Amino acid sequence: MSQRFLSRRELMFRAGGGIASLAVSDMLARAATTSPLAPKMPHYAGKAKAVISVFCYGGVSHVDTFDPKPELARRAGEALSGKGEVVVSQGTPGGILPSPWKFKKYGQSGMDVSELFPHVAKHVDDIAFIRSMYSLSNDHAPALFQMNTGSVLTGHPSMGSWITYGLGTENQNLPAYIVFQDWRGGPIGGAPNWGNGYMPAMYQGTPFRSTGDPIVDLKPPEGMTPERQKRWLGFLDKLNAEHAAKNPQDSEFAARIASFELAYQMQKHATDAVAINTEPQHIRDMYGVDGERTQYVGKQLLMARRLVERGVRFVQVYSGGGNFQESWDAHWDLKANHEMHCGETDQPVAALLADLKQRGLLDSTLVIWHGEFGRMPISQRLDGRDHNPYGYTVWMAGGGIKGGQVIGATDEFGYKAVENRKSVNDLHATMLHCLGFNHEKLTYPYNGRNMRLTDVSGNLIKELVA
Amino acid sequence: MLTGIAFGADESAEKAEAIFKANCYSCHGAALKMSKLDLRTRETILKGGEHGAVVVPNNPEASLLYKLVSGAQQPSMPPGKKLAAADIEMLRTWIDRGAPYDGIAPADEDKLKTLAKLEDRPIRPEERKFWSFQPVKRPAVKGAGSAAVDELWLKSLAAKGLKPNPQADRRSLIRRAYLDLIGLAPTPDQVTAFVNDKSPNAWPKLVDQLLASPHYGERWGRHWLDLARYSDSAGYEFDRDRPTMFHYRDWVIAAFNRDVPYNEFVRLQLAGDELKPGDREGRVASVYLRLGQEANIKTAQTRMDELDDLLATTGGSMLGMTIGCARCHNHKFDPIPQKDYYRMQAVFFSAKPVEEPFAEAAAIAAHKTALAEWNAKLKELRAAKGQIDKPYRERLLDEKKSKLPEFFQIALKTPADKRTEGQRLNAIQVEKFLVVDDKELQPLLNADERARWTKLREEIAALDKKKPEIPTLLTIEEKRADPSYFLHHGSVDSPGTEMKPGILSVAHEGEWAFPDKTTGPGLGRRAAFADWVTSPSNPLSARVMVNRIWQHHFGEGLVRTTSNFGKTGELPTHPELLDWLASEFVQQGWSIKKMHRTLMLSQVYQQSSSDRADGIAADPENRLLWRQARQRLEAEIIRDQILAAAGTLKLDLGGPGVYPFIDPSLYAGSSGRTWPGKQIDDPSTFRRSVYIFQKRTIQVPMMELFDTPNGIGSCSRRNRSTIATQALILMNNAFVLDQAKRFAARLKQEAGDQPAAQVKRAFDLTLSRAPSPKELAEAVSFIGSAPEGLVDFAQTIFNLNEFAYIP
Repeated sequence: MSQRFLSRRELMFRAGGGIASLAVSDMLARAATTSPLAPKMPHYAGKAKAVISVFCYGGVSHVDTFDPKPELARRAGEALSGKGEVVVSQGTPGGILPSPWKFKKYGQSGMDVSELFPHVAKHVDDIAFIRSMYSLSNDHAPALFQMNTGSVLTGHPSMGSWITYGLGTENQNLPAYIVFQDWRGGPIGGAPNWGNGYMPAMYQGTPFRSTGDPIVDLKPPEGMTPERQKRWLGFLDKLNAEHAAKNPQDSEFAARIASFELAYQMQKHATDAVAINTEPQHIRDMYGVDGERTQYVGKQLLMARRLVERGVRFVQVYSGGGNFQESWDAHWDLKANHEMHCGETDQPVAALLADLKQRGLLDSTLVIWHGEFGRMPISQRLDGRDHNPYGYTVWMAGGGIKGGQVIGATDEFGYKAVENRKSVNDLHATMLHCLGFNHEKLTYPYNGRNMRLTDVSGNLIKELVA
Repeated sequence: MLTGIAFGADESAEKAEAIFKANCYSCHGAALKMSKLDLRTRETILKGGEHGAVVVPNNPEASLLYKLVSGAQQPSMPPGKKLAAADIEMLRTWIDRGAPYDGIAPADEDKLKTLAKLEDRPIRPEERKFWSFQPVKRPAVKGAGSAAVDELWLKSLAAKGLKPNPQADRRSLIRRAYLDLIGLAPTPDQVTAFVNDKSPNAWPKLVDQLLASPHYGERWGRHWLDLARYSDSAGYEFDRDRPTMFHYRDWVIAAFNRDVPYNEFVRLQLAGDELKPGDREGRVASVYLRLGQEANIKTAQTRMDELDDLLATTGGSMLGMTIGCARCHNHKFDPIPQKDYYRMQAVFFSAKPVEEPFAEAAAIAAHKTALAEWNAKLKELRAAKGQIDKPYRERLLDEKKSKLPEFFQIALKTPADKRTEGQRLNAIQVEKFLVVDDKELQPLLNADERARWTKLREEIAALDKKKPEIPTLLTIEEKRADPSYFLHHGSVDSPGTEMKPGILSVAHEGEWAFPDKTTGPGLGRRAAFADWVTSPSNPLSARVMVNRIWQHHFGEGLVRTTSNFGKTGELPTHPELLDWLASEFVQQGWSIKKMHRTLMLSQVYQQSSSDRADGIAADPENRLLWRQARQRLEAEIIRDQILAAAGTLKLDLGGPGVYPFIDPSLYAGSSGRTWPGKQIDDPSTFRRSVYIFQKRTIQVPMMELFDTPNGIGSCSRRNRSTIATQALILMNNAFVLDQAKRFAARLKQEAGDQPAAQVKRAFDLTLSRAPSPKELAEAVSFIGSAPEGLVDFAQTIFNLNEFAYIP
């Protein structure tokens, strides 16, 4: 059953044995209610309470996965013509390159999915595909920033920051916004991808590791036993309480005292939250936790489910890190690249959808599968594809999304989005709507302006929301 | 003298523009568009002329322009002369890279007339009446200096029926002054001396001593670095290091220490190269113009973004105006016309980024020679190696070709002049990307060949590592006045009228004179703009700066939105006081140190920070300053204090940034983004935190979590967040624990084995006071009750609220 609705207080004190002395307990209570991270109501009742973003960094080839283009096989080797200037990011465009993979129809909705995603294909009736996405940059970092923050420039808060700012968190003992990077490394652009931009640092994403302690400095280094730690924290609490008693109304002092209590609790709760060894074997198998290829994303998505269950608002899991073949960035050898990355993600992503559903959590958890752009229908370096921001596919499931449908379309080659074109701002507006926010009203004051995740544009994609 | 060298990774756009400008614009530009071809923008180049497209991006051989300039097709262009071989090659490279281009073409004349009407947005007289645009008016006061400050402050307090707090005790006072001015706690001896100094001059003497300390600049220079969004890296995709940026940081610190008048400080940053040509200080100060992030792939759009970042930073930090809001439309709230924005952009537009050697002339010449020799040698070795493996390479390539998909094979078999467009593209793919690497070649060579070949390969590898280098500095070069335009909707695709340099028109009646120079070095525009910024008639600059100084002494500014003096900002809580300070600042020669003295010698500064019930009831936010603020220390100062307590802090000044340990899982991975972090106990990192290498995308977690800005945007007031992960760092970080052990060892050494003495010493060192009897008893009992008691006590001290706040 869902644990999501355990109260913060309950979670905080359930384990018992906090460090707080009686003298500061009311301080803690006060700090918790005045904390900017205390749970907040959105503008209206949203179906989604949390978001999981599966970020396939590097750029997934839509024409090889979810947007079939038979025209590519018919016109193999021909120049791409009649679609305006062919803009590539890395020079030397080739002729049209057919997809090495076959497509089949799945589900009651009869959705086309390539043989790269046989597991995800089983869930198409829960998934809404947007095949008409476009981005503003064909360079990785700006495109990543746009997908994560709405702007191609750095310095803006990321989606998770906005959600945390808007909703607070239901679990003060865990970070509200958590990021798992690929086992090979982080995405280009680094920390600004989960940065708080112009908001306070408390809204930034906390990187979680999928082996060992999830957070850096979660546990004391060797030699500092838990008993010893609890002892000195208790002593600290006493001295701090005496100091605070001189200015008992100071909420900053109270908040800082509370932060040590929360940190102490977090040591246990964060460890428990990612303890996937406590999951039954059939669940582990479902995610492929012990599979050679699926282990990394499998572990992370299983952890993501556990985190969402515990009230975390936004979890982002990166597939692909570093450069070129380590990510989805298949400038050459598309076949090996996408077989590897799909092989790593297909089963775990499908398992996440199935698992959330069987626990009754899919309705309240929005899953977004996306990259930063798509890939070109023409060849590059003989057997690869270059970046394509002009048309690509993302999909959403759960959290109030009406599945089994396709929004928009690219041209017959998959080069440009032509029907019902959707921007990243539109995607963000829709995500915020699922969480109960009017994207035009969720604002943060900065530099004399009321800033928005969607800047000055963005429209709710109405067809998507049931 | 120093010579400019070309900037950046992909300069082909700029080079192509220069080639066209010099050779082609006379017939294919503003005056004439022969064959209906206009070479001034990417759009018009791609559109081509009456003979169709002239450039096929990424495909020089198919581009008419390349065919004509290279002589492959007649008539050869430009008529009657041939471009230099290097220029032809550059155009080839440029097309091959997709023909990026910076040029913006003006709109047609008819359109311009229509647009010009939309561009004007006159300032209405009532708009000049907003408080911050009014001239500074010095209020009549009875006293002078600090007395005047107190007079004006007490007046507002009395109006609300509030009394000030009494003076703080002397231990709090000295601790406050030390942490505020130099960011270090006083030593126990310094505290004792001050407490015992009963002379009336004790306090002024202390303030003067601290202002004379070299650590003053480290503390207050950092405040300016926040505003200037100082960083040691370039940001964006690759966040490349800028290894010599620290010269600017050190200049700022030194300028504060030398008390360079603020007007001069501003002028040098905006136009140091013009004001002090050929001078080291002028160059280093004007690195301010290069502090922003810079894009990896450069386009007209990224240039506009970079200028916008510079304008927003300059507007916010020096003028307290959100002028960035006027980029796409007239400012929605303040009377800042969009035209002002583009006129101010014109001030900076022609200052192009360059990277210059930063060394003596002889060293630069020697480097040039060495580089040429290195290049020649490398070329020679590569040719020799290629000679040996040539037959094998060709054979391998043929084998690989035969394994390609059918449509590639057909393309290759078709004669070049008979290929379809698709076949031509596919053939190019094969030529360019079907490669053979050394690993494949090696087994094919015979023993003798392999010996020679391997030796050459090793020589090449060795030489590659020995590329002659010279330190460089990022700076600007202003050779000529490049036209810039009013951009409608902020779009590079909608240029309007050409812009002349200008200022914020609401803050100055009439035009401000700019020199009419069209060639450099230095057009005098920035110097003239700096003259306006620092003119005593400018209503903003002095107010903004004294308000910042106030903010750091009192926790909040008199105007709380310190970089926004516009309508969306807050109003001053003490308008008369603000004006008195601004006027005094200018009268005292824009001396920042004199301003510190005036403020710190006042009663308002010296009062206690304790709460009072009547104060909380009447003014809970303490806007009227019935008590001094209790300010949390910044990340840097918390870390510095930990090192100082442990006795490990090294007080060396300046130099390249240092790299404290960061857990590799926090940065590992992409784009060569690395952090050469030292071990947690490496003393080279035990320096003041202002000297930590400031990378935009990798921050030391303690700095990041305690709200050190990331250098992306200008920061006028740090966030002061309190979160559990901050506590985790102070609880569990190995560096903190290591320093706690060193602190404990120090206590043992200095106070002996008796816990009571250790506790007293610890309080003296870190809190500038003695423990209360209760604290003493508790601490002694804590230390005695476990073998690691003293170390844990030391760590407890680092975590006290009192440790992290200015009293």
